[in-house]
Amino acid sequence: MDQRDYTIFIPEFIAAGSALAIIGLELFFPKIRRDIPAYLTALAALAWGIAGAFYIGKDPNNFQGLVQSDNYTTFFRLLAASIVFVTALMSASYMRERTKTAAEYYGLLLLAGCGLVYMAAARELITAYISLELLSFCLYILVGFLKRDSLSSEASLKYILLGAFSSAMLLYGISIIYGVTNSTGYDQIAVQLAQRSGDTDGAVIVGFVLILAGVGFKVSAAPFHMWAPDAYEGAPLPITGFLSTLSKAAGFALFVRLFTAAFQVDAPEWRWAVAFLAAATMVIGNLIAIQQSSLKRLVAYSSIGQVGYMLVVIAAIGYGDQELGRNASSALLLHIGGYVVSTLALFAALTAYYNRTGKDTIVGLRGLAETQPLLAMVITVSLFSFAGLPFFAGFATKLIMFQSATTDGLLWLVGLAVVNSFISLYYYLMVIRQMYLFEPEGGLTRFRPSPLLGALAGVLMLGVVFIGVYPTALYKAADRATETLYQQAPTGAVQAP
Amino acid sequence: MITEQAWLLAAVPAGMFVVLAIFGRFLPRQGDYLGVAAIGTSFVLMLIVAANFLQHRGGVGPWRNDFEWSNVGDFRLRMGIFIDPITIVMFGVVTTVSLMVNIFSIGYMKGEPRYYWFFAVLQLFAASMLMLVMADNLLLLYISWELVGVCSFLLIGFYWEKRSATEAAKKAFITTRIGDVGLLIGIILLWREAGTFNIEKIIEFAQNGGYSQAYLFVAMFSIFLGAMGKSAQVPFHVWLPDAMEGPTPVSALIHAATMVVAGVYLVARLTPLFEVADGMMLVIVIVGLTTALLSGFMALAQTDIKKVLAYSTVGQLGFMFVALGAGEPQIAMFHLMTHAFLKSLLFLGSGSVIHATHHNQELDKLGGLWKKMPITGTTFLIGSLALAGLPPLDAFWSKDEIFVGLADAWGAWAVIILGLAAVTTAFYATRLFIRTFMGKPLDDHVYEHTHESGFAMTFPLIVLAALAVVSGLVIFNGVGQALGFPGGITEFIYLPEEGPARYAIDWGFATASLGMAVVGIFSGAWLYWRGSLEKSTALARFQPGVYDMLRNKFYFDEMYQYAVDRVVLGLSFVVSWFDRYVVNDTGVDGSAQVTGYTGFILKYLQTGKVPNYAMAIALGVVGLAVAGLVVRG
Repeated sequence: MDQRDYTIFIPEFIAAGSALAIIGLELFFPKIRRDIPAYLTALAALAWGIAGAFYIGKDPNNFQGLVQSDNYTTFFRLLAASIVFVTALMSASYMRERTKTAAEYYGLLLLAGCGLVYMAAARELITAYISLELLSFCLYILVGFLKRDSLSSEASLKYILLGAFSSAMLLYGISIIYGVTNSTGYDQIAVQLAQRSGDTDGAVIVGFVLILAGVGFKVSAAPFHMWAPDAYEGAPLPITGFLSTLSKAAGFALFVRLFTAAFQVDAPEWRWAVAFLAAATMVIGNLIAIQQSSLKRLVAYSSIGQVGYMLVVIAAIGYGDQELGRNASSALLLHIGGYVVSTLALFAALTAYYNRTGKDTIVGLRGLAETQPLLAMVITVSLFSFAGLPFFAGFATKLIMFQSATTDGLLWLVGLAVVNSFISLYYYLMVIRQMYLFEPEGGLTRFRPSPLLGALAGVLMLGVVFIGVYPTALYKAADRATETLYQQAPTGAVQAP
Repeated sequence: MITEQAWLLAAVPAGMFVVLAIFGRFLPRQGDYLGVAAIGTSFVLMLIVAANFLQHRGGVGPWRNDFEWSNVGDFRLRMGIFIDPITIVMFGVVTTVSLMVNIFSIGYMKGEPRYYWFFAVLQLFAASMLMLVMADNLLLLYISWELVGVCSFLLIGFYWEKRSATEAAKKAFITTRIGDVGLLIGIILLWREAGTFNIEKIIEFAQNGGYSQAYLFVAMFSIFLGAMGKSAQVPFHVWLPDAMEGPTPVSALIHAATMVVAGVYLVARLTPLFEVADGMMLVIVIVGLTTALLSGFMALAQTDIKKVLAYSTVGQLGFMFVALGAGEPQIAMFHLMTHAFLKSLLFLGSGSVIHATHHNQELDKLGGLWKKMPITGTTFLIGSLALAGLPPLDAFWSKDEIFVGLADAWGAWAVIILGLAAVTTAFYATRLFIRTFMGKPLDDHVYEHTHESGFAMTFPLIVLAALAVVSGLVIFNGVGQALGFPGGITEFIYLPEEGPARYAIDWGFATASLGMAVVGIFSGAWLYWRGSLEKSTALARFQPGVYDMLRNKFYFDEMYQYAVDRVVLGLSFVVSWFDRYVVNDTGVDGSAQVTGYTGFILKYLQTGKVPNYAMAIALGVVGLAVAGLVVRG
């Protein structure tokens, strides 16, 4: 088989090429309307997604064992394209009012998406690391994109500093694992770890912990979560949504491939740590969320709580056998899908609201049910979905996820997750209460969201309900995506760099 | 077969919910007739299904109809319906009471804001409740369980403008959800070993010894927590009296006749599992007895007409749990039915009073209404006497059966406790009736303006009163035979393998039961007849401590408040304090602005947060690594 199969990169060629073209466009036509690049980006994302769709069901193929193209990659590719598509549309009027040059912003959205795809596709640690940095660099800039807004700049700076810190840890972890296994390819690592004598090796544990910290930072798992609320709060609103969907999906894309393909053989050395992280993350996220008054910070902590639930699956990969690991991974992909749709619905509605009123506190939502019932309904539906109420995506996906992750060693963790998701209902209801039970501040003035955002929020809300009522469709896709996770790379040995 | 299409019962009101919620406000009369029509359709369908079921009974067994909801990976799930005698009884109760309450609401809710929304939610409630009782698997049951909870939340908080109403709605929702955590955990535990959510299969699995004893006990205890929350059993009963903030028809339908009995239904449905789990029956019976006794006392000192009825409901639910704990689900279901009719009658009666007196529900301002409201008065008297347990009214028969079953299963001590509860029941029922309808009017102004309610409100009262009189008789073999279920209702529900037996009155218990009712009624009448207030406040004067304790409902609310404040919010506060002061997470507060844009990175670092964050990360890593080396090494 061809070792250098460039065809697997075609969708990302499209995405990255469009990114450059869009940035260049503004360079040559500086007078262009500020929202044109947004629509072009949405088109590019669409083309990217369509190109990606051609890879569905194709035989797995790889590029020198570094990057693998299979259904798993395709799943995340389509996810990335959809996130970029929605975020670009969300940003159109938001960025138009706030910046003079926005083309880089949209180009970076596309490049960040590419970062996600290669984090999912990587079968080699250095490739994974570089993809992760591609994503991170884009996000650093996007968070601080509103240069004149001190909050945005400060958030970005914190994010960069801490991000660099955690990248160092990740690299250190990678180098230790390389030292032990003499390889950075997932397959080779698995082989070497399997051959390792049964004794506990301090280096392996330290290596795993460092890698966990590095990737855990990306998904904002406690105690590596502290950047998240600040970054969420400071970032432009659409980027907050982008962070809580793309960045988390990317982290887990890497997590799942790495921990199934490479580390599963040596599970006893790391699974307890993941279980601990999961427990700490969900408890901390949910408890602190109760105390928040800023809507963005509330969403940040609630998404930290959600990450705790998702980490349960990574722990389950360690505690169960391969079959359980695969089912749990499929369920995680399903949950990520549902979570992404719910989050995007929430942010589409919040952006629509913010564009009209400029309010982003919980109290600011007062009386929304009176002034703009559609947005209030979308927000309610997505919050109910986070809380896991029946008929909304969160219930079905969380149920399937928890049931597939239940093994003897993890019963306590699943129980804790269920209790936590009940706690979370409390603060979601606080938000909903503001919208439905209070009079709007400053009298009743109805307003209309922009048609684009209104339609976007409505469609996404229908998606939330669809996944909640009929999760099977998405689950099937997720299930096909995880087929190749435990298989060796289709072509022979991987050279260590 | 028509029985297999019973899902239509739920589908019709569910569809009507959508119609009313969207178009209701534009329709003439805001579409109330559509609501009544939808429930009426369900009622007719119920009659057809029941007739069909009775006709084919014995030959075919339970009826099922399901479809595949999910079949991928290892997650296979069928959803469907399951019709057996328990379902049929619940169908009858839910559709009948729903229909009556819908008709009543036309009169009672007239002119209220959001009139269409009220009817819409009633439809949604009926649909979810009907779905709940025919669900063949625990997952669908759980979903419907949550949905009826949401409807209850919406309807308790129907008067949004009133702060007490929204508080009550919140309290109800949170309290029942605490139980629901248990329910969900229990369901997951049951599913984990059996690999299915299907109720019949789980029961079969348990009876074949699939679960270990301790495991099953934990699972069933968790499920029972859910039942306790929904059915307002001590110590989860606190939400139900507050739920009276909702419109009175809602109290009649949801908080007396149907939703609150979902817990009873659940335990009845899963009785084989509870029986296999050693010790659960004792738990159930103790919870039931405690609730029946405590709520009886609490009802004594209430002066709000609806709150008296609310505590009475809590107590009667306790009676049902006692029957369940005695291993007699058929008797619990029978009491559920008789109680549903008489309690919805009493609630609607109180609604009629409240409506007629322009929203006055304090006993201290009522009295002497008999002459002004003869129909309401008469039907209310029937309801009160039935509640007190006077033969031949319906609750006499079911209460009597509970005593017989209880004596069989648990012996004299339990019977004595429950007997005391029965006497209090008769006592407060009498007190309530006399203070509302007898004696001299306590507030002339209120009395002057009172008038009998209109036909839309009296008609349901008459129908329900008639049911309260006759529905107890279905326990007799003869009545059952005539209606198509030989052996009477209890045999119909339970149907032992040797075939139906005739119901025979246990004269000893019947006499004792009658005696309790008479003692309660006469002592109540002696204290309250002709509005002799001196006697009625005797307790308050001689034992102010006891009286205060009753009025304050044994201080349950205060205890909860304390626990919630200290534990949940305290914990949350500690964690966020830690985050804020130890890690110094005050958020992006713009402190960068102070330093201006000329500063170096170091200046930003002086905000004092970034190093702390990094320290947390580093400590996390070191901690994990050390733990790993210690634990694994």
